Amino acid sequence: MTAPGRRSSTFTRLLRHGFTDPSAAERLLETPELSAVRSDPVLLEALGATADPDLALHGLVRLLEAQPTPTARRELFDTLIASKPLRDRLLGVLGASAALGDHLARHAGDWHALVTYEPRDLHRDVADFERGLADADDPVSLRVAYRRCLLSIAARDVCGTIGVVETAAELADLATATLRAALRIASAAAPEDAELCRLAVIAMGKCGGHELNYVSDVDVIFVAEPALAADGEPGDETKALRAATRLASHLMRICSETTVEGSIWPVDANLRPEGRNGPLVRTLSSHLAYYQRWAKTWEFQALLKARPVAGDADLGRRYVEALAPLVWQAAERENFVADVQRMRRRVVENIPADEVERELKLGPGGLRDVEFAVQLLQLVHGRADTSLRSGTTLDALKALAAGGYVGRADADQLAESYRFLRFVEHRIQLYRLRRTHLLPADEAGLRRLGRSLGLRADPVTELTRAWRRHTGVVRRLHEKLFYRPLLDAVAQLAPGEARLSPEAARERLVALGYADPAAALRHLEALASGVTRRAAIQRTLLPVLLGWFADSADPDAGLLNFRKVSDALGKTPWYLRLLRDEGAAAENLARVLSAGRLAPDLLMRAPEAVALLGDGTGDGAGLAPRGRAQLEQEVLAAVGRAESAEQGVTAARGVRRRELFRTAAADIIGSYGTETRPAEADQGALVDRVGAAVSDLTAATLAGTLRAVVREVWGDTLPTRFAIIGMGRFGGHELGYGSDADVLFVHEPREGVDEQEAGQVANRVVAEMRRLLQAPSADPPLLIDADLRPEGKSGPLVRTLTSYAAYYRRWSLVWEAQALLRAEPVAGDEDLGRRFVELIDPLRYPRGGLGNDAVREIRRLKARMEAERLPRGADPKLHTKLGPGGLSDVEWTVQLLQLRHAAEVPGLRTTRTRTALAAAAAAGLVAEDEAAILDEAWVLATRVRNAVMLVRGRASDTFPTEPRDLAAVGRYLGYGPGHVGDMLDAYRRTARRARSVVEDLFYGS
Amino acid sequence: MDKQQEFVLRTLEERDIRFVRLWFTDVLGFLKSVAVAPAELEQAFDEGIGFDGSAIEGFARVYESDMIAKPDPSTFQILPWRAEAPGTARMFCDILMPDGSPSFADPRYVLKRALARTSDLGFTFYTHPEIEFFLLKDRPLDGTRPTPADNSGYFDHTPQAIGMDFRRQAITMLESMGISVEFSHHEGAPGQQEIDLRYADALSTADNIMTFRLVMKQVALEQGLHATFMPKPFSEYPGSGMHSHLSLFEGDRNAFYESGAEYQLSKVGRSFIAGLLRHAGEISAVTNQWVNSYKRIWGGTERTAGAGGEAPSYICWGHNNRSALVRVPMYKPGKTGSARVEVRSLDSGANPYLAYAVLLAAGLKGIEEGYELPPGAEDDVWALSDAERRALGIEPLPQNLGEALTLMESSDLVAETLGEHVFDFFLRNKRQEWEEYRSEVTAFELRKHLPVM
Repeated sequence: MTAPGRRSSTFTRLLRHGFTDPSAAERLLETPELSAVRSDPVLLEALGATADPDLALHGLVRLLEAQPTPTARRELFDTLIASKPLRDRLLGVLGASAALGDHLARHAGDWHALVTYEPRDLHRDVADFERGLADADDPVSLRVAYRRCLLSIAARDVCGTIGVVETAAELADLATATLRAALRIASAAAPEDAELCRLAVIAMGKCGGHELNYVSDVDVIFVAEPALAADGEPGDETKALRAATRLASHLMRICSETTVEGSIWPVDANLRPEGRNGPLVRTLSSHLAYYQRWAKTWEFQALLKARPVAGDADLGRRYVEALAPLVWQAAERENFVADVQRMRRRVVENIPADEVERELKLGPGGLRDVEFAVQLLQLVHGRADTSLRSGTTLDALKALAAGGYVGRADADQLAESYRFLRFVEHRIQLYRLRRTHLLPADEAGLRRLGRSLGLRADPVTELTRAWRRHTGVVRRLHEKLFYRPLLDAVAQLAPGEARLSPEAARERLVALGYADPAAALRHLEALASGVTRRAAIQRTLLPVLLGWFADSADPDAGLLNFRKVSDALGKTPWYLRLLRDEGAAAENLARVLSAGRLAPDLLMRAPEAVALLGDGTGDGAGLAPRGRAQLEQEVLAAVGRAESAEQGVTAARGVRRRELFRTAAADIIGSYGTETRPAEADQGALVDRVGAAVSDLTAATLAGTLRAVVREVWGDTLPTRFAIIGMGRFGGHELGYGSDADVLFVHEPREGVDEQEAGQVANRVVAEMRRLLQAPSADPPLLIDADLRPEGKSGPLVRTLTSYAAYYRRWSLVWEAQALLRAEPVAGDEDLGRRFVELIDPLRYPRGGLGNDAVREIRRLKARMEAERLPRGADPKLHTKLGPGGLSDVEWTVQLLQLRHAAEVPGLRTTRTRTALAAAAAAGLVAEDEAAILDEAWVLATRVRNAVMLVRGRASDTFPTEPRDLAAVGRYLGYGPGHVGDMLDAYRRTARRARSVVEDLFYGS
Repeated sequence: MDKQQEFVLRTLEERDIRFVRLWFTDVLGFLKSVAVAPAELEQAFDEGIGFDGSAIEGFARVYESDMIAKPDPSTFQILPWRAEAPGTARMFCDILMPDGSPSFADPRYVLKRALARTSDLGFTFYTHPEIEFFLLKDRPLDGTRPTPADNSGYFDHTPQAIGMDFRRQAITMLESMGISVEFSHHEGAPGQQEIDLRYADALSTADNIMTFRLVMKQVALEQGLHATFMPKPFSEYPGSGMHSHLSLFEGDRNAFYESGAEYQLSKVGRSFIAGLLRHAGEISAVTNQWVNSYKRIWGGTERTAGAGGEAPSYICWGHNNRSALVRVPMYKPGKTGSARVEVRSLDSGANPYLAYAVLLAAGLKGIEEGYELPPGAEDDVWALSDAERRALGIEPLPQNLGEALTLMESSDLVAETLGEHVFDFFLRNKRQEWEEYRSEVTAFELRKHLPVM
């Protein structure tokens, strides 16, 4: 023993050999079993070469202690010292697997399995393993024999005798042998059952694909037929199936039950027809009938890996032969691509957020990505090309590359990463023989894992780096696998390499959702061929863009629009740099270009706005809406720089177009979500954002136009004070992309100015503003609507404040008071605007509420409007504005509440519908659940209106009838392909519920 | 092209079929048919057949009228009454929107959606209908009383009975179309027949009922008779019900069965019944969709009780109680698979797709929400006084179509099951039927009032 404070030389030696707890190791080496060799450099070196020297040493001591006799201990000890192969293998296993260490300690003689080292050991096959399991005749002895076989696989795996692919194949062979043994045991237990039926076990999943892990569920399907009776006729089918079911469930129990020796692995039969609810065993014809009639796309994908492994070989072969043709027809099924994409998304969404970062299999860039991409391509191209029909991932990938379906370099890289990830997975599982796909979270676990992969210098850092690199490769490649070959097919760059044939390219484009593959190929050719830097960058960008387009309702339009933008901007140096270097920009652009007509139209008029889609570091860049003050400042500055009113307004309208694009793009991206950010879940927030942005923008544009007009004719001061009051949706901050601006104009002659003259001036200002805002130009016009003014269309366009006061004092009708609820000054003289509001407040928030007559009047007006204003022929239930449960229903209900109660409930004094509704609920005027129903209906109707405008580029009060447009509206609202019916159903339901609340609140009480 | 489609095309060749009738059902439950030549069928399998949906009750408005009928090859069947070559065959269709997504106006899709929800919960829904109908000698269209085809009674078996002959031929024809018949007999009223179909999944049953009605009318015509599925053609005789036995399976296991439980009825079964009862009022307009349906429910059940034609007027359940709305049939020992509940309100004039969809939805709601089953009724509920029924908490079914519609209007369950489109159309159409009926001056009024006023 060494004295405290002084370290022995052994201590540093141990440290150098990779022990993390040298003191414990020293104590272990002092034990009687090992003391003789405690400073033997050969042993220490061998221990130091293992993944976890502490673990290996600990295991060795236990194994020695477990030897039953001193002779046995001697034998082990001598072999260990004398035979390097045994030493490496035994210590290697002990250092990599705590579970196998336990096994060895419990079965002290099993280390002999590691001694033989013959060339034929290099690769063992099913027959070898069957021999190894031959003596097992009950679940317990089967477990022991299984572990002994596993020991030999693990030993050769950790010593590098076999690679990751061979290991996986051998594990599948061992599983096959185990299933056969389990069936043998089950049959022996019930010979009368075995006599009645022929039972075949079909392996699926990784076992079927001949690429099993150390520990994973073994997926199987059972198929059975009645055995031939003595007379040569098949026996009773029901009885046979019952017997087969008993055998099959016994087989499953034999493998998965936990006994004193633990369990082997769970046998999972849930891939069978109807899943866990279906019968465990079916006849061949019943399997066939199911797959022909009921099976879903993923079930065919699973069948790719079906392989008969145990039981009746002839029946197994017939099963595979009968079902294989169905697999290859799967790609022709309706919704095949949509199904497949949905399956993939669901997998990613289901991983708990805190594990995504450590998830080897299901995380982004994980094993599942590789397997999934390979299987999808097999299903798409495997019908025409039989060479692609392998159940093993890497073999299939190799065949895909050989046939030109994926690029050779991509395939090589992907294969390398796949092997690495599988390697990591094997070693993680080997440690405790647990079914896990998570990287260890602790330092020690990561260290052991890194060392077991051969990373010795700084295992944790190196492991993390390698893992990042490989998931990165997979993540980047798995989409490109689909699309890059399409570009290679048109770009004709690398002679000699196998390329996708034109038919295969078309097939793939159709499978990915392109309606006009010929046009798509033309665009691709135009964008990607040539040797310019631009073509080169586009070749690398397009594979990813094509994937995003394919995800939209109109991939063809997305690609066409991209071509247009690229034709316009391709020579601008920052454009391609932006798309290539700024992660989000390319995805954002793809979404915006394929989500409808409005945003691309706005963009085509001034393509530089693409810059807004970047990460948003520069001034004015990014998608975040800009505030009212900021917008006004920019517009006024632009007007100030202009030489004439016309130029000034043109500049203001240019700003408006750019900001409309920014708003539309942000809306689309928020609604669709991106790879890094999920779609905005709060529909109300999306609606409010658009409403606020477009209303602010309109106000700023009006302010700028007013300034431009005044300055041109009157210089700095107008002879009369002039203000613009926003009304309707404008006043409520709820404007949509295509809305007109409802306004009132008010003025007040300055001191000493003749009232008539002032009136003329004000009228001229209005006329000039309207003319300039509607003048034909590349920018969208802004229409001003002043029909809500006193006396409507027949009244004067502009009034003085006094005139408004006089009018409202004498004539005001209840509908005018209602309209004034939405009045808010938006531009011009602030003081005048404030005084206008003071003037109308007593009207719109009448003290004591509304009289019965007025309430009756409002109800009658609304009822008449419902009867008269709905257009003929349209389905009123889908009319978002005037239909039952539409905008007008909700707004009138809220406004009636405001007119009646705003005098005593200050919260109701707002121009905004949703705010007023919330205030009414808070004040107990509306039940919370009723308010929620109304709010949901209002938000949904507004979302639909925004969607229609974005998709069609024209406003409409109802859903589009053209299927593609309707589908695009659906995508914006979050409904996947084939679900427009659900969208309409949901709209009708929301509106129906709202209508019933409206009938109660508006017409009822 | 899948196997089934290939099979259909091959059969057309081999059997020299010259026309294929593509069948679908409108929202009210009437069979519609488009005939196509075999040459067009291959395209019909791929893309469907376009048609003007506005011509079909409840499908579409004029401005969105393009719809597609897509044949379901698994329903292919040669029509036996045109036996001589060249023959005719039929297939049921799914109705699609122009973009290929299913149309919410298609009753078949309504049922399919309800079944999809069932399978999400891990169940399969089976039904077994007992269909009653009348054979008439004539079919006057001016409102006068028709003449029943015979004067036999319940289970009567007389030599040369018209009904016997009819049933034999009808059953042969049904069997030749792959529809298995369980049982058939003469019902309680003159001319009234009952034929029970073998249990099957609900979609097949609904398809079979549509076929069944057509076959019965066809066979009747061939014998110079008329078959009618009107719920109550005669005031003095019982009406035609379509008692339906319902069961849910979880895989191979009957989910209604639990050995040792009361009546061997599982928790799932009890909640299912509770759902049927709690929602019986609001689904009534669908299960009993005609003005005439309520004459069957309220038209003198006391008089016809015991004669085999009982219609349930009150919302209650009973074990083997034929006066209850839901009956739990006597359990047959050893037949765990046959545990089921019988709903007795449904009549022969219902649209089977919609009716099974709402019954299923009501039952599932009971299961999902874990409704408690109220105590069963042991007495003959017709014989109880109003006060006794009130004391037992037994409510009546709606008195007429108008009441039923009012209940349905505020039912989220029915709206969600039918889909908003069908829900809306159905209410509008039925309101109108009710209003037309209300404004009609009837023979009853003329008979009662004219002589004395």
